[in-house]
Amino acid sequence: MTTSTMPGGDLGYDRATPARAPALSLRGLTKRYGDRVAVDDLTIDVPAGVVAGFVGPNGAGKTTTMAMLLGLVTPTRGDGTVLGEPLSDPAAYLGGVGALIEGPAFYPALSGARNLAVLATAGGHDLTQVPRLLDLVGLGGRADDRVRRYSFGMKQRLGIAAALLGDPRLLILDEPINGLDPAGVHEMRGLIGRLASGERTVLVSSHVLAELEQVCDWLIVIDGGRVIFQGPAAELLNRTGATLVVAPEHPGDLERLRGLLATAGHDVEVGETQLHVEIGDADPRSLAATINRAAGDGGIVLAELHVARTSLEDRYLTMVKEGGDR
Amino acid sequence: MIRMFQAELLKLRRRRVAIGVAVAALAFAAVASTAIFLSASPTAAPGDGRAPTVGQLSAAGGATDAFSLGVSFAGILVLVLFIANFAGEFTQGTFRTLLMREPRRVGLLAGKMAALLVFAAGVLLVAEILSGAASALIAPSQDVATSSWFGLDGLGAAATDYVRALAGITAWALLGAALAIFVRSIPVALGIGIVWSGPLEHLTQDAWGAASGWFPGLLLEALAAGGTDDASVGRALTLVGLYVAIAAGAAALVFARRDITA
Repeated sequence: MTTSTMPGGDLGYDRATPARAPALSLRGLTKRYGDRVAVDDLTIDVPAGVVAGFVGPNGAGKTTTMAMLLGLVTPTRGDGTVLGEPLSDPAAYLGGVGALIEGPAFYPALSGARNLAVLATAGGHDLTQVPRLLDLVGLGGRADDRVRRYSFGMKQRLGIAAALLGDPRLLILDEPINGLDPAGVHEMRGLIGRLASGERTVLVSSHVLAELEQVCDWLIVIDGGRVIFQGPAAELLNRTGATLVVAPEHPGDLERLRGLLATAGHDVEVGETQLHVEIGDADPRSLAATINRAAGDGGIVLAELHVARTSLEDRYLTMVKEGGDR
Repeated sequence: MIRMFQAELLKLRRRRVAIGVAVAALAFAAVASTAIFLSASPTAAPGDGRAPTVGQLSAAGGATDAFSLGVSFAGILVLVLFIANFAGEFTQGTFRTLLMREPRRVGLLAGKMAALLVFAAGVLLVAEILSGAASALIAPSQDVATSSWFGLDGLGAAATDYVRALAGITAWALLGAALAIFVRSIPVALGIGIVWSGPLEHLTQDAWGAASGWFPGLLLEALAAGGTDDASVGRALTLVGLYVAIAAGAAALVFARRDITA
């Protein structure tokens, strides 16, 4: 059995114990506010030990879903389990959950250390971990300053430290990168990556997939309160269809080239000055050679011929657009 | 509930708070005692309002008369402080943070309220001791005899004054907290609380004298004054207790069931 060590100190979390159940499993979770449906029949599973990105545009239902997980909002319908305990009994599982939701909220007149001590006491956690957690998030030197003097980024980091009280098995972070400057974003991303090491499950939301792409190994995409995609991040990446970009030397030849390729049975999309040929299961190198030969046979000189992969962000935006069009 | 009680006390156990309380208690003792003893007349006269006579101040409970009268004016202040504290937890988002640590909502409220009331009880005790000391210092200059203050009767009167003050403060505190939980906004709750317990009750009392025996703010004034013609201490305690129980129960129910979205 091993015990992890994290920057700032050993948090004493046993990461060697194998996961037995999903950290999170929701079935038909729904939340209505009058006529408005904030979360619509949400069914998701998050395996234990992953960093799950919870992605969707503003108003997609991410925060409401997280608030339901944390017992702050009562679902209109649906059920599920969190850390193996029923969603209807937050007191049974919240001891193993740490969260930062809807931005950091602290007592401005108290110091960062005192704020954490108040929360640790309310949660029945060991007070001796407070200095270690403040060091972990880089606030060790400002522990005794009143929170009203903290910058937004510092409050955000204090929020992460508060979420880590009690060394939670499940960490829920709602838009932790929101409002941070580029350096803060970089720092926060690194911090999330470090927190995710071992068996801890992290559910982190954002409306910008690019912010999470580097740290997530599991993705849940929602829009309008409904799930659009859930699964390994790599699976979504594989779904991002690669194309061959083909451009003739003379733009006037674009339509004739399209005709040639379409006649040869290729799936072609027309851009402003380029054609996009779906690669599908074909070998990109062989396909490029075939296209080059066909263009040459037709008397067209190619100025551009290369593979382009749709980014995860593009794929996400397309999914959200498709979801919105439905 | 116990964890929340300890957490709330941790917020209050600060040097800045201790200094603030000490200064406020000293100022209260000095102002209340000076005002009472300087306004005391040898015999009761019409238009003296609640000002005691030299004879009354020389009686067993004279040492804490200043405390009792001073605390009777502190009700609105307590209402304001508790509204600010509880509504502030909503507006700052700290109830959300606390509920993620202590999801048993009624227990959270009870622990927090218990800690604040224990703190208030301590402050009241300090204020009573200081005002008694200030009264003892001022009394000789106003020809008020203090010999009967220090017997068992004097201690009994002081204890009665303390319990009555604590009961009043507790009621104001619970009403303020309940109002804050209902409306979740400091300015709105303050507006409702101050307008209701100030102008509204007193204007109604002017038009309808029996209001003194029914309205919570007026009943609390009667309690602080040791009973009035319209409301005895017993009636005031019973009705205020009923109002507070209803308000606190409704607030706890609302807090337990409502979504925390801020």
